[in-house]
Formats: sequence, C-alpha cells, structure tokens
Amino acid sequence: MGKAKLVATLVFLGLTGLYGVCAPEKPPASSQGEAKATEGWQKEFDDICSKTQDAMTFTAEQLTALVQRCDALEPQIEKLDETRKKVYLKRLRQCRGLFNYVLESKKKDNK
Amino acid sequence: MRRATLVSLALILALSAATLAQTAVKKKRPLPYEYGRVVINNYSDKGGLAPVVFEHWLHRAKFSCRVCHVDVGFAMKAGATNIKPDDNMRGYYCGACHNGKMMYQGNAVFASCSKSSDPQDLPRCERCHSFGRTDTTDAAFVRFARPLPKERFGNGLDWQQAEESGLINPVDFVPGISVKRKSLAVQKDFALNAKLVGMPNIIFSHKKHTVWNGCELCHPEIFVGVKKGETHYSMVGIFEGKYCGVCHNTVAFPLMDCQRCHSTPVQP
Repeated sequence: MGKAKLVATLVFLGLTGLYGVCAPEKPPASSQGEAKATEGWQKEFDDICSKTQDAMTFTAEQLTALVQRCDALEPQIEKLDETRKKVYLKRLRQCRGLFNYVLESKKKDNK
Repeated sequence: MRRATLVSLALILALSAATLAQTAVKKKRPLPYEYGRVVINNYSDKGGLAPVVFEHWLHRAKFSCRVCHVDVGFAMKAGATNIKPDDNMRGYYCGACHNGKMMYQGNAVFASCSKSSDPQDLPRCERCHSFGRTDTTDAAFVRFARPLPKERFGNGLDWQQAEESGLINPVDFVPGISVKRKSLAVQKDFALNAKLVGMPNIIFSHKKHTVWNGCELCHPEIFVGVKKGETHYSMVGIFEGKYCGVCHNTVAFPLMDCQRCHSTPVQP
C-alpha cells in the first residue's frame, strides 16, 4: 500500500513536472478581459461614428443623443493604453464635433 | 561731411537688412514631386535614424484623405500626431497599413518600425527614414505622373480628373481600420462672394470635397462657423494656413491657382 502510494505520488509529481500546473478557469496572462472590454467600447464607437454621414438628416433630439453617447464613451477610451487612447480620442472627438456642429447649425436655423 | 557719410552708410545698412529680411522669408516653390512632402522628425533623431519623408502623392493615389486623417487618425498639421515607433509597431498610424500583412496589388505592404536592431532591417527602415538621401521617390513620381492628366501647379496633376477617369482609385474603406458608413447624400454646391471687385465668385463644391474627406474632417475642426456667412474668410487667413489653406497650399492644388475656386463668370 505504502509502495502504491509512493508510486502514485511519484507519477503525480512526474506528470505535474512534465505538463505544469494549469489553472484553466483563469485566463492566461494575455488580455482576454481587456479584449471583452475592448469589444464593448469598440462596438459603441463604431456604431456612433458610422452615423457621421447621416448627421444632416438627424433631428436635434437624435443629434443630442449621439453627443451624449460620445460623452459617455470618452471616459472608457481614456482608460485605454497610450496609443489607443490617442487614436480613438481624436476619432471620437471628430465624431462628436460633427454631431454638435450640425446640432448647433439646426438650432440657429430654427431661430 | 563725415557725419553725412555715416548717415548714408547707416541708411544703406538699414535698407539692406530690410531687403535681406524680406527675401529670407520667401519660400521656394516646391517642385511637382516635392509638393505635399512632409518631413517627420518627432523621434527619428533620438533613435539615430534620418527623419521620415512622407510623400502625399504616393498615398493619396491609393487612399482617400478620410482613411488617413479620420480612420487612421493622422492630424492635419505636420508633426502634430506625434507618432512614436511603438504606435507603429502596435499597428496604429503608419503601422495600420505598413504591417507586413496588408496586401496591395498582390504584394504585402512592408512593415514599419520594429523592435529588432538587426542591421539587415536597416534598408526597410530607410524606406521611410530617408531624409537627406538623393535616391528617393522623385523618379518614381515621374513614372507615376506620366499617364495622369496634368495641371499647372502643385504636383502638376489634376487629381480629380485622374480619379474620374479611373486612372487612380483611392479607396475609402480599409477593413479593420475604417468604420462602415452609408454613402453620403450629395450636398448642393454654393457660391461665396469674392471681396474684390471684378474677382469671380467662388463656387464651393461640397461633392468634390466630401468624396475624399467625408464631413468630420472639415467640420468643425477647419470650418467652425455653423451658419453660412457667419465666418469671414480672408485670403490672408487662408494663406496663413487656415480654412481652405489647411489643404490648398500643402497637398491639394495651391492657392495661386485662383480660377479653380474663383470660377463664377463675372457678369458684365
């Protein structure tokens, strides 16, 4: 029995040494969490900025909603690494700038 | 008598200094292959490399202005993007396309910056970090320009005509970089009154501009005013690089080509 235990322990240790201890429930050191978060903000970013072509056709309410969505997204982009923050903040501000520009233009036309 | 000589000498010196100062600020008109060239030197010197020479003509033949200045995120002012090698390595800015993977006409687009300091990489680095070299893209421009319709100034090419006749085909969407957008409804052209008597009015074509730029490239960053007639444009401001001068003295046809904008026939 003692011999069997010893063999089992040795086999276990050998296998552990050979394959290493895995923790499959935990993500690897890569950016799975980050990727999920990225997906979230990226989808919202793409959705907002895909509408710039239609800016002229939107009502003031729709434009206001888009500006608000840009403002809500900005803090999420602020949290990204330096490069992505630089790229996407600029792009987001361009989209927001256009929506706000058209909104202001519509307000002036209505006066 | 001696005093008169001294005064004359002082006058001559002062006038010479003024003349020199005036001639010193005169800019040499760029040659067709130089027009639109941007030298980028945010970090090259520090990395022991020559500054990057970016040729607008080479890139605008392949991509719309919007792909690079909206989707990729390059600033409209030279050097203002502050591109770092690390940005390129991570697949942004130049690295968005220059990644060794993107295919163009059956060839992979060469990769931009890399972390390796292998001397074998140097020729690749020097494709962009080429300032001061004489064997750059000038000859390539001559070959490129040969079949294209000509114009008088700038690159000496009529880019709009070149696209309309299918000789160039700048793409407006790059997968993985661009956002999918609907096609833009064409905005009406409008006239802007010239301030000088006898100067033809300007016909501004929204269509011509939105084809390459979309809306967000110009509004509100370059054209802030929300109501027609609210912003007072002046040629002085435009020559200083504001409004139309952001592009039309750097990349698009230059301001000396007056009649391309001041195109309304003058009424007798």
